[in-house]
Amino acid sequence: MKPMLSTDLNVAETVVEKAKIEVKNLNFYYGQSKALKDINLSLPERSVTAFIGPSGCGKSTLLRVLNRIYELYPKQSAEGQVLLDGKNILDRSQDLNLLRTKIGMVFQKPTPFPMSIYENIAFGVRLYEKISKAEMDSRVESALKRAALWNEVKDKLNASGQSLSGGQQQRLCIARTVAVKPEVILLDEPASALDPLSTAKIEELIDELQADYTIVIVTHNMQQAARVSRQTAFMYLGELVEFDRTEKIFTSPREKRTQDYITGRFG
Amino acid sequence: MTAVSEAVTSSAMRTREATVRRFALTDTIFRTATRLSAILVLVLLGGVAISLIAGSWEALSKFGFSFLTTESWNPVTENFGALAPIYGTIVTSAIAILIAVPIGIGIAVFLTELCPRPLRRPIGIAVELLAGIPSIIYGIWGLFVFAPFLQTTVQPFIISLFHGIPGLSSLFAGPPYGIGLLTSSLILAIMVLPFITSITKDVFDTVPAVLKESAYGIGCTTWEVTRRVTIPYTRVGIMGGVMLGLGRALGETMAVTFVIGNAHRISTSLFAPGTTISATIANEFTEADGELYTSSLVALGLILFIITFIILALARYMLLRIDSRTGA
Repeated sequence: MKPMLSTDLNVAETVVEKAKIEVKNLNFYYGQSKALKDINLSLPERSVTAFIGPSGCGKSTLLRVLNRIYELYPKQSAEGQVLLDGKNILDRSQDLNLLRTKIGMVFQKPTPFPMSIYENIAFGVRLYEKISKAEMDSRVESALKRAALWNEVKDKLNASGQSLSGGQQQRLCIARTVAVKPEVILLDEPASALDPLSTAKIEELIDELQADYTIVIVTHNMQQAARVSRQTAFMYLGELVEFDRTEKIFTSPREKRTQDYITGRFG
Repeated sequence: MTAVSEAVTSSAMRTREATVRRFALTDTIFRTATRLSAILVLVLLGGVAISLIAGSWEALSKFGFSFLTTESWNPVTENFGALAPIYGTIVTSAIAILIAVPIGIGIAVFLTELCPRPLRRPIGIAVELLAGIPSIIYGIWGLFVFAPFLQTTVQPFIISLFHGIPGLSSLFAGPPYGIGLLTSSLILAIMVLPFITSITKDVFDTVPAVLKESAYGIGCTTWEVTRRVTIPYTRVGIMGGVMLGLGRALGETMAVTFVIGNAHRISTSLFAPGTTISATIANEFTEADGELYTSSLVALGLILFIITFIILALARYMLLRIDSRTGA
C-alpha cells in the first residue's frame, strides 16, 4: 500500500486503496501555453474516477496524457511523472504501442473502424496475439457480451461497424477496447453524443466494468459523474481544485470553487 | 381617413410592384444566360462526338467491327485496324498506373502521417510542380536522356536477368532499343504521379483525427493505421484519383509519341516499340492522303474518346460517393 499524496492539495486521506495510476507534478503544454498546472493525483485500482470541470479546464488534456495519445501531435508536451503500477509512462523508453494496449480509450464520438463488426474487435486483438479462429470467435463474443451488444449484433457480425446506431457504435468501441484486455479504460465524454437510453446503457456498462478495470471518465454531465464514479476530480483553468470521494464532492466540498461549479454558479 | 391610408398603401404597393417587375426581368436574363452557358458545354461535347462519328463513318462502314480486332495498319493497301494502338494505349496506361499508384500512396502517407511539418509544404509543392511540366519536355527528356540510359544500363541487365525464365523472358525480350512500351509507361507514370498523390493526400485528410486516434489507442503502429483504417476509409476517393490519372495517361500524346517507337504491331515484349492511339494520330495526320486513311485516324480518335469518357465518368461517380459520405 503506497502512501497517498496529501500535501497542500485537498486530497482526502479517506481514499486509501492501491493506486493504479499516480500523477506527480504534471505540467502540460500546447506549444507555449500551459494547459495543466502541477497536477498531483492518485487513481485507485478497479474503480471509476470522474474528471469534471468547465470546458477548457484541462480534464480531457489530462486524460490524453494518460495514454500519451497527445504525442500524435507535434508541439504538445508533458513534464512530470505519470506512474502506472509504479513505472513512469512518460519515460522516453516507454513503448507507446505497448502502453496503449494496457490503457484503452473510448472517445466522445463513436469511431468504428471501416470494417465489419467482427473485424472491429478482432483487429485489435490480432495485433498482439496469435490465436486460432475458434479462440477469436469466443473472444469477440465475450467482448460483445461484456459491452451488452451481443444480442443486438450476433446475427450480423459481418455487417459494417458503421451501419450500427450511434449508441451501438459506442458500445462496439467499448467492446473493442475491452477485447484487447487493457488494465485501464479512459472514457472521454463517452455518452455526450448519445440519447438518454443509450447513455443509461453505457453507464450501466461502466458500473459493471469497474469490477475488472480501472476506469477514468471525463464528463460534462455532473449527474453522470455522481451516478457512475467513486472519486471525482474537479478541475478549473488547468488546476486540480479538489479530488475526493464523489459523494463528498457533491454534498460537502471543501473548496468554494467546487461548490460554485456543482451548484451551477459558473461554468 | 381610411381612404387616405388606402391611397398611400396602394401607391407604395405600386412602386414595390414596379421594382419587383424590374427584378423579374434581370432575373430572367441572368437565369437564361447561365442556362445557355451550361447548355453550351453539352452542345460542344455533342458536337465533338457527332463530328468524330461523322468523320470516322467511312472507315467504320468499310471495316465494321473488324476495325477493332485487326492488327494490320497498311496505308499502301489501305487496310486499317486499330488493335495495335488500342493495345499500346491500354498496356502503357495500365503499367503507368501500376507504378504510380504505390508511389503516389506512399508519398501521400508520408506527407500526411510521417513528414516533419517544415518539409510538408516543399515536398507537396514539388510533387504538384511535376504536373506543371509541359509534356513536350517529358518527351525530349525521355528521348535524349531517359531512353539512352535505359538502353545502355537497365534493359541489358533485365534481359540477361530474366533470360531463360518462361514468361518473364518473353515479356522482357531484347534487343534493347531504349524506346518502347515500357519507357512510355515509365514516363507516363511520372506524369500521372502528381494527380494520384494530390488526390490521395486530400482524401487522407478527410479521415477524422479521432478515428486515427482510436486506432493508435488500441496499440496500432502507423503502418497498421494506414493499412487497416486510413486506406479502407478512403478507398473510394483513392480509386477516383487513380481513374483521373488513368484518364490522363490514356490521352497523353506528345511525351508518348517521342518514346514509344511508333510501330504498328503487338509484341509480347515490353521493350519492343509499339504505338498508342494518340501517338498514331499525332504522327500520321500530316501524311494521311486518302479519305479512308484520314477517316481511320478519326475513328481511332472516337475510340479514345469513348474509352476516356467511360474512365472519367467512373472517376466522377466514385468521387461523388466519397463526398456524400464525408459530408454526412
